Amino acid sequence: MTTSFNAELGILDRVDGSASYKFGATSLICSVSGPIEAKARQELPTSAALEVTIRPDVGVSSTREKLTEDKLKSVLGSVISTFLYPRQLIQVVVQILDAGEAPCYVVRELVGCINACYLALIDAKVGISESFYAKCVAIEQNTGKLILDPTDRDLTSSKSHHAVCFSLGNGKSKSLLYSESFGQFTEEELLKVLDFAAEAIEQENIGVRKVISEAVSNDYVWMS
Amino acid sequence: MSGTLIIPGDTIELGTESGETSIGPGITTNPKDQSIVYPSTAGLLKSISKRNKTIAYIEHNTKRYIPTIHDYVVGVVITVFGDGYRVSLANYSQPVVLSALGFPNATKKNRPHLKVGDVVYAIVSLVDRDVEVEIECIDPVTGKEGGFGQLNGGTLFDVKLAYARYLLFNSNAEILEAIVNKCQFEIAIGSNGKIWINTENVKTTVAAMNAIVESQQWKKEEIVKNVNKIFKDVL
Amino acid sequence: MFKGFEVSSNEQAFTLETLKSGIRFDGRKLEEMRDIDIRLGDEYGYVEVRLGNTKAIVRISAQLAVPFEDRPYEGIFQISTEISPMAGPMFEAGRQSIDEVLISRLVEKAVRRSGALDLESLCIIAGSRCWAVRADVHFLDYDGNFIDATCLAVMVGLSHFKKPDIAINGEEIVLFSTDQRDPVPLSVLHIPLCVTFAFYNPNDVEENIKGSSSGELILVDPTMKEEAQSLGSMTLTLNKNREICQISKAGGLPIDAPVIMDCCSIAYSIVERLTEKIKQLLKDDEAKRIDINVQRALSAANDR
Repeated sequence: MTTSFNAELGILDRVDGSASYKFGATSLICSVSGPIEAKARQELPTSAALEVTIRPDVGVSSTREKLTEDKLKSVLGSVISTFLYPRQLIQVVVQILDAGEAPCYVVRELVGCINACYLALIDAKVGISESFYAKCVAIEQNTGKLILDPTDRDLTSSKSHHAVCFSLGNGKSKSLLYSESFGQFTEEELLKVLDFAAEAIEQENIGVRKVISEAVSNDYVWMS
Repeated sequence: MSGTLIIPGDTIELGTESGETSIGPGITTNPKDQSIVYPSTAGLLKSISKRNKTIAYIEHNTKRYIPTIHDYVVGVVITVFGDGYRVSLANYSQPVVLSALGFPNATKKNRPHLKVGDVVYAIVSLVDRDVEVEIECIDPVTGKEGGFGQLNGGTLFDVKLAYARYLLFNSNAEILEAIVNKCQFEIAIGSNGKIWINTENVKTTVAAMNAIVESQQWKKEEIVKNVNKIFKDVL
Repeated sequence: MFKGFEVSSNEQAFTLETLKSGIRFDGRKLEEMRDIDIRLGDEYGYVEVRLGNTKAIVRISAQLAVPFEDRPYEGIFQISTEISPMAGPMFEAGRQSIDEVLISRLVEKAVRRSGALDLESLCIIAGSRCWAVRADVHFLDYDGNFIDATCLAVMVGLSHFKKPDIAINGEEIVLFSTDQRDPVPLSVLHIPLCVTFAFYNPNDVEENIKGSSSGELILVDPTMKEEAQSLGSMTLTLNKNREICQISKAGGLPIDAPVIMDCCSIAYSIVERLTEKIKQLLKDDEAKRIDINVQRALSAANDR
């Protein structure tokens, strides 16, 4: 299987971890700084605070970005080992370079955000309990066929679309961290979508692992 | 660099041999159930065995320093208060405390006077998740100065943490030896990724600094050639 | 200058020593700019600029809008320069620091107030319809001198951008997609570019104010470390016609007029070189696009 994404770790200098992630027409950059000093209003006594900012490609951020920030925060909050860094701050920023979908959809953007964050967290070496990865799936209007990574055109002609994020253990999809669906579908179809996405995530994880492996060996060039 | 790549979510095999296994950086236990041990960062799984004990950890390279007890660190004084100083070990991180009594032979009346902006070489003496981290400038073995204290002159720069550790524990590291052949220098390496260096003059300091920073991207066989070039360009 | 970014006295003293001996950490001369790497995207108006380790991306976009009531014959042009913590943790999300305000004002002055973009050409129907052009600047990595990088990126973006062609049918406006009609470029009147100088004082501060000896050191294009230790900075904006669009020096070390004149001539030679570079880049990009279009046309013929 050819890889359907392009990713690079450690592209920025000033922050602790960063990654660029591109799949199809969607392209974004994520940066992670942490654990750093939290501002008094953010500080939590027993765990790290999480600050998530999403910046749109064109225009100023609106409620649309705020909503995606919230979704992203719920995913990250469940995997980052925040108890390791009490009273500190983990700062995540996602800059969307190209949403790759019409403004009425947020599914590609959300999936891109989750995956870029995963890679940036790995690069920053912030403690996380599991790996995670997301995919989007659309169900075609007439045939009911499942489309992986639907393009903007696929989305408009689909009857429903879904964003699915799984945690990964030993390269296998383990538990469902997040799922979001939009449109009309049956329970049976949703289960099919989840299975389909889980398998796609496992497939793509082979490529993701390769990217991480390269980044780690890059960190130790001076050893060779 | 040898070792198997581990990413969060992978299961790690610990304690296959007899005896205790301690977990080091990069491996965490679940706070709700201490028997669940998992890797929390991506890196290379390493283990060191001494007598009956094994220490397993994940070797990873980062930019952000997290204070660990007995680490040698280079810090910058950012505030002076009644009986001590607040010292920054990394930009934007929580500052740590250096007590005015944390110097050899210091008493309430006789103590060093540091100013904001001064650089100190110290050792991390207290790490607790609920209180501020403390450092001191006393060699814990001898109780004497032992090279710790204020660093005068020279300059500071940052490298990634794994590289700083490598230089700190391998005083005959190739890059340092290559620089020895070029000029005389004094160096203080902190596990927090900050390195203080002072040489004969400004030009050699700049060259030595650039050589160390850039050597993070060099392979071993390139070191001598690249160091020669850097020194030639500056002088 | 930047909260949380600590510079020790040792480094300050050392930087001053190196500058006195005429060298910089990155091996540049004092009046030398860092290498600028400009990359144009596939889309019109997408520009990535790297100035050393400083990185920024600019996206230009255009939409139909209603002109301002007091300016019925002009289109709208906006520059958005919000700095997120991606550029570095010293920038706070959602709150502008003084440095940020300064950066955005300077860019605003350099590009908008200098009339680089012909706003009247953006008017479609006076008082009711016009183009609203937006420049969204995304700061990715900060290593000093956002101003020069941003100004350059915005100008390259504006010169590269093409808006869809339109036709007016009475009161109705017809927008053509890029397949139907070739998009049209914006009317860019001149290319103002910024050059930022940082000042250092090797002597006593008092001596400098008295003015008897002004041996201040001047650097072009300071990095973040240099910026954090400087005693003031000045931004000059000029174009290749030797027109100075603005001189901005907000406080800091007092500088003599002849020194500013020297700075102007340094800046001019830099701007001249950069303008040439930009022109060449845009020309190459245009040629590449034509090539691709020709190939596409040929391959379409082959299909039949």
